[in-house]
Amino acid sequence: MHRYRFVLFRPLQLLPVLFGISIIIFILVRLIPGDPARVLLGTRSTPTAIARIRAQYGLDEPLWLQYFYFLENLGQGEMGKSILYKIDVLKLIATRIEPTLTLVLASVLLSILIAVPMSAIAARNNGRLADHAVRIVSTLGIGLPPFWLALMLIILFSVRLGVLPVSGYGETIGDKLAHLVLPSLTIALSLSAVLTRSLRAAMIVALKSDLATAARARGMPENVVFWRHVLPNSLVPTLNLLAVNIGWLIGGTVVVETVFAIPGMGQLLVRAIFSRDYMVVQGVAMVFACATVLVNFLADIVTVSLDPRIRL
Amino acid sequence: MSGPVLSIRNLTVKVPIDGETRTLIDAVSLDLARGEILGLVGESGSGKSMICRALVKLLPSPAIAITGGSILLEGRELTAFDEDAMRAVRGVEIGMIFQNPTSHLDPVMRIGDQIAEGIRYHQGLGRDQARLAAVDILGQVGFPHPERQYDSYPHEFSGGMRQRAMIAVALSCNPKILIADEPTTALDVTIQAQILRLLMDLRDKRGLSIILITHDLGIVAQTCDSIAVLRNGQLLEHGPKRRVLADPQHAYTVSLLESHPSTPQEGGSRAIAKVAPQSLARPLLEVDDLVVRFPTPGLGLFSGKKKPVAAVNGVSLRIMPGETVGIVGESGSGKSTLARAILGLTPLTSGHVSFEGSELAQNRRHTLAKLRTEAAMVFQDPYNALNPRLTIGAMLAEVLTVQGNTPLARIPARIGELLDLVELDHAFLNRRPRSMSGGQCQRAGIARALAVNPKLIIADECVAALDVTIQAQIIDLFRDLKTRMNLTLLFISHDLAIVRNLCDRVVVMYRGEIVEEGRCGAVFDSPSHAYTAALISAIPDIDPDKPLPKGDLPPLSEPKAVPDLRGQPLISMHYQQREQRS
Repeated sequence: MHRYRFVLFRPLQLLPVLFGISIIIFILVRLIPGDPARVLLGTRSTPTAIARIRAQYGLDEPLWLQYFYFLENLGQGEMGKSILYKIDVLKLIATRIEPTLTLVLASVLLSILIAVPMSAIAARNNGRLADHAVRIVSTLGIGLPPFWLALMLIILFSVRLGVLPVSGYGETIGDKLAHLVLPSLTIALSLSAVLTRSLRAAMIVALKSDLATAARARGMPENVVFWRHVLPNSLVPTLNLLAVNIGWLIGGTVVVETVFAIPGMGQLLVRAIFSRDYMVVQGVAMVFACATVLVNFLADIVTVSLDPRIRL
Repeated sequence: MSGPVLSIRNLTVKVPIDGETRTLIDAVSLDLARGEILGLVGESGSGKSMICRALVKLLPSPAIAITGGSILLEGRELTAFDEDAMRAVRGVEIGMIFQNPTSHLDPVMRIGDQIAEGIRYHQGLGRDQARLAAVDILGQVGFPHPERQYDSYPHEFSGGMRQRAMIAVALSCNPKILIADEPTTALDVTIQAQILRLLMDLRDKRGLSIILITHDLGIVAQTCDSIAVLRNGQLLEHGPKRRVLADPQHAYTVSLLESHPSTPQEGGSRAIAKVAPQSLARPLLEVDDLVVRFPTPGLGLFSGKKKPVAAVNGVSLRIMPGETVGIVGESGSGKSTLARAILGLTPLTSGHVSFEGSELAQNRRHTLAKLRTEAAMVFQDPYNALNPRLTIGAMLAEVLTVQGNTPLARIPARIGELLDLVELDHAFLNRRPRSMSGGQCQRAGIARALAVNPKLIIADECVAALDVTIQAQIIDLFRDLKTRMNLTLLFISHDLAIVRNLCDRVVVMYRGEIVEEGRCGAVFDSPSHAYTAALISAIPDIDPDKPLPKGDLPPLSEPKAVPDLRGQPLISMHYQQREQRS
């Protein structure tokens, strides 16, 4: 199992990456124009009240000291207190993480379920009608903006057909799933389009490859050649594309959660930005960054398990 | 023998291209008897692979179709079989092995599973039984630990072992016929000899009939019973091996035989006759105790000690102006690394390279500048070494402009001269590599090397990718250029026969070290080092009465075979025994 030794060492390499991300996030958040104290006080803002709030949240300290506190808190597993919600940022995130996590997982799963059969159909009918149809659909999927797609899906399934809820997030599991169908479909339609393009191209190459010829030459039927030899040999590039797109996917949840009014991290982030809730923005961005890093790490592990030649 | 296993009559394969039909196989008739090894010989494009693809109806494109003739497999007409029926023939009655085992084996599937796959599908055996059968076959094709090696992946093996695995896959369902498409072209000579032996053993043990596709008449002479010579899809000559070799009927067969490098040529003696002038005191190129090590890929940031691999380990070499020196050795022997180090393309770990007295390690900038203007390289793969987007004219103009030694106005004329030198028609000026043959591309590559007006040309396996007759032309071109321009040539090849024909002096490399060096004739006629002797004996000779070395040669490339060469002439027991026997 020497090939998997990187699993032990890689997390140590990821620490400096996360440290760098924390600096970037900290600075970017403070580049947002506006003052949280002023936003919080609204019409009641007087110079003394602003100064008091600023002192209360440590916003009057020099930037480097604020960053130091931020790091110190992170080290203790804290992310400060939300200015808007007046509770601990971590606790706030904990209440919001489940819908987002479920949404992302459902979207990825759905994308794979769409992308693999679509690419298989296209690649095995390369140049024929089915192939062109898949290519047109995937080009559309890349081209159509998610917010528009979301609205169209709502109009079709919720308004016209009335089979799925318009927006929000349910209480029971079944209810939650019903609420997740349209949002995850919105994301999956775009993501699967990207995956299909890459997977289809890889499959076309693999279908013509020597290893497929060799499998046919030992009398394997075309189905076996495809699913046992062509597919495993086409997955790696697409898997890495998926991992890279996780960042994009998280950005996607911000839009989709807003459109569907899902009380998740994306929605939290949008509100926090508008109210200059530095601590929350920092916290959510940090969680997103960690998630992206983690997903890429997982993708590395899957890559190694898919292709015995790869050593990391 | 009870009639042929396979009987091909007037097989015709055609493909429609741009409205007209091109004939790829033109009414070829052949018979294959039980236990016979038939050699299909011809150059690339001659249709030899196409015939074999047609036999199992796996033509490379759906547009290509069998338009006439018959293929009788034990009396059954294969051309009438549909796809389902053909699947029961492929692998079961006709097994195939291919030139490149690396690309034809599934890299992400265990080797044993690839063998068991066919057994399970065709014979309906269960997982465990199929595994047992596969382990048995692995043992038969020479895997030392079949039980354990069943679970290995193709990349964990050397090229020779991969080809053995490919053979095991082809034999998994006990076919009657084995089609071997250039099975040893990608392998070193010593490994080639082992694989050929294995094929012949399998024929003897299993009564297998083998169709061996090759461009090397030496292989045919050593292994086959009969020979079929193909050109442009037509069967020119077919008959028993000795008859065809001794008394070729067709002019093309004669030319094939003549261009085989093991045929004694006047060229060899000519090369020896032209001794480099010793009066010139200073060598053009001097390599002294050169060591090039590569770090083994580790785990990155947190890996422990990295063990560097020495690709070139203490090599010293002197090349006089006007000399032609051949470097031979198997893959992994450090030939190419040495060439790259000489040109400053690879960092030196220690040692010295000096070119015309200019020292590479000490005065890197100056020496590199000198090397770039006075030395040039010709590469193995002519297609990949040329920029596909540039026409030949543009490519040569680029070199000449960057070099700056030719006045801009003179460049078109100079390009013309270069094309004349390499005997390329001026029409090629506007062609791109895509629309040229391998030989034409290699001529263009040589023209590019000559453009800098070099004192030294390093040719790295520059004919390995070419057909024999084209090889012979390129070698002739080098010989001609050498005398005309007083070039110094460092010619790297794994093909000893070519080196013998072209070079004055030969250097034999093994595992990064020089094991033997001397005048070509002397080294080849009486090699003093057992490794050189083994290399020479492994070349399939065109004379069928000089057989391949008997018995199983242990793979020379495996570290265990020859434990240490530093205290030469310490050689593995095996070779000492072999020498004593002979």
